[in-house]
Amino acid sequence: MADYTKYTKQEMQAYAIAKNIKENQIVIVGTGLPLIGASLAKRAVCPSCHPIVESGLMDCSPVEVPRSVGDNRFMAHCAVQWPNVRFIGFEANEWLHDEDRLIAFIGGAQIDPYGNVNSTCIYGKGDYVKPQTRFTGSGGANGIATYCNTIIMMQHQKRRFMEKIDYITSCGWMDGPGGRERAGLPGNRGPQMVVTDLGIMKFDDDTKRMYLAYYYPFSSPEMVQENTGFEVDVSRAQLMEGPSPEIIKLIREEIDPGQAFIKVPKE
Amino acid sequence: MNKVYTLHDAVAKFVEDGDCISFGGFTTNRKPYAAVSEILRQGQGNFTVWAGPAGGDWDMLIGEGRVKAYINCYTANSGYTNVSRRFRAAIEKGQLTYEDYSQDVLMLQLHAASLGLPFLPVRLMSGSGLVKYWGISEEQRKTLDKVDDLKCVEIDNPFNPGEKVVAVPVPKLDTAIIHVQKASPDGTCIIEGDEFHDVDIAVAARKVIVTCEDLVSDEYIRRDPTLTRIFGQCVSAVVHAPYGAWPSQCYNYYDNDSEALKEYDKASKYQDAADAVAQLAKAAVKAQAAADKKPGDEKLAEAAAKAKAAADAAADGSKVPETFKDYLDKWVYSAKDHDELLDKVGGSRLMRLKNEPHLGYSTRH
Repeated sequence: MADYTKYTKQEMQAYAIAKNIKENQIVIVGTGLPLIGASLAKRAVCPSCHPIVESGLMDCSPVEVPRSVGDNRFMAHCAVQWPNVRFIGFEANEWLHDEDRLIAFIGGAQIDPYGNVNSTCIYGKGDYVKPQTRFTGSGGANGIATYCNTIIMMQHQKRRFMEKIDYITSCGWMDGPGGRERAGLPGNRGPQMVVTDLGIMKFDDDTKRMYLAYYYPFSSPEMVQENTGFEVDVSRAQLMEGPSPEIIKLIREEIDPGQAFIKVPKE
Repeated sequence: MNKVYTLHDAVAKFVEDGDCISFGGFTTNRKPYAAVSEILRQGQGNFTVWAGPAGGDWDMLIGEGRVKAYINCYTANSGYTNVSRRFRAAIEKGQLTYEDYSQDVLMLQLHAASLGLPFLPVRLMSGSGLVKYWGISEEQRKTLDKVDDLKCVEIDNPFNPGEKVVAVPVPKLDTAIIHVQKASPDGTCIIEGDEFHDVDIAVAARKVIVTCEDLVSDEYIRRDPTLTRIFGQCVSAVVHAPYGAWPSQCYNYYDNDSEALKEYDKASKYQDAADAVAQLAKAAVKAQAAADKKPGDEKLAEAAAKAKAAADAAADGSKVPETFKDYLDKWVYSAKDHDELLDKVGGSRLMRLKNEPHLGYSTRH
């Protein structure tokens, strides 16, 4: 008999994603963990949500886990297949109409206390033109971070959580209160939380700086501080309970049976 | 008018050295690989590129030194390679002249080109590094005839004073190449599934090559005009190239060839044999240093021994891993044309990629 009482860090993260999707929200997913989390939300935690993809596929419910945002696996049971420019226009009009329905997931290599994210390059001894490590580039992330409330997915490591990041690909709260407006960005949109493998960080209403809101059964506020490259307020941290065996069974047997994104340890 | 060409003749006539060029498709979906391979064989280069969501298509041309200026928003065979490796190596070595826009902005720029707009104002990229840092300086831009003199300009919205917006240039494309499901001799195209930016670049470019899975008659393609996506008069050449997007996927026809995409992922780590020898030697030194730091750690010692064996085998030539050059020799240069390539891939392998109609992908590979 398979044991569903134990779960991995990634499964906890996927569960944390699913728990933070609200009723009727339109959820911009990429691939990887956000997709697993959104699939879990759609099937068990919050079935009224509508997953959409930046390539323009609206209200997706894939049967097999797609490998990428452009994968035809997203086409199975999707409601509308728009070209990418329609997706961009929809995103902008949601903000223009003052609709508060969109929530989006983005990831990155570096993040600062205000939720600004770098997914372009790490300078090392070089600079933007000749960096030590180059990544893909913005993809849809910059546009999403411009117009939508976001949930940022990160691995919790000191070298990723930095006081100052090399390059801002996707804007968070910039340098604090009023920062987005000063930069010419919608001020009523921005990062809502950072979901990591150690906990959930949120942003203080007054300072817009990151604080620890939840830690997991296998982590602790101390672990979070140890793995964060800047001072983080942990005084408000609460324990988030782990997923039930039913949820873990659903992830392993129905949502990602091929273990495309969540590896299950051998028993 | 009959615009049917062989792949060789279409590429020879409509892809010229120094063109400003864009390809259709999305990372690993409907990428015009047959045409890319033909460009590689024929030798055109010096391209100024509006890449869109790119993958192995542009990674191969970058690795072969065919790109003069690369305008990027995302380059990866996502799901197989996190960051395209020749693209990444070229930037990290300072060998690629490139610029970054966000994907939204680049797709809107291509759309603006299809609308014939003079420039494009957006709210996107504000406050980010995408506005602050320029991959190609203003000075350098002035020396590149197909690159606009400015990357972007922050301006005041004339209709809403006080609102800052970002103005970006509109691409002036010489050439667009797209792969579609069906086309007819007069150039009319049917695209099934997501059209991505393909229609935009087909309208915007002066020269357009369409490769297609099925070449159908002009009468047949007009049976239902709600299905056709591109007016034939926009198209310069139509090429019948079944499996012309291989190893990427093509909706209603075939899925990604994971075997080939994984092979490219591994091979493209190394430009050539000399690069493989150098990289493996470096990795062996690093693994040994890690092992030396923690004496008694068996796993690290084992990894160091393995890395040294791989480095030694590469250095004495007994076992050099497949490289980018090897991959191109195997899957591009050794075939004289697309037909020979398909023979090489093999019938049963191609059949396994065939889509299952109720799903739109294959479950057998």
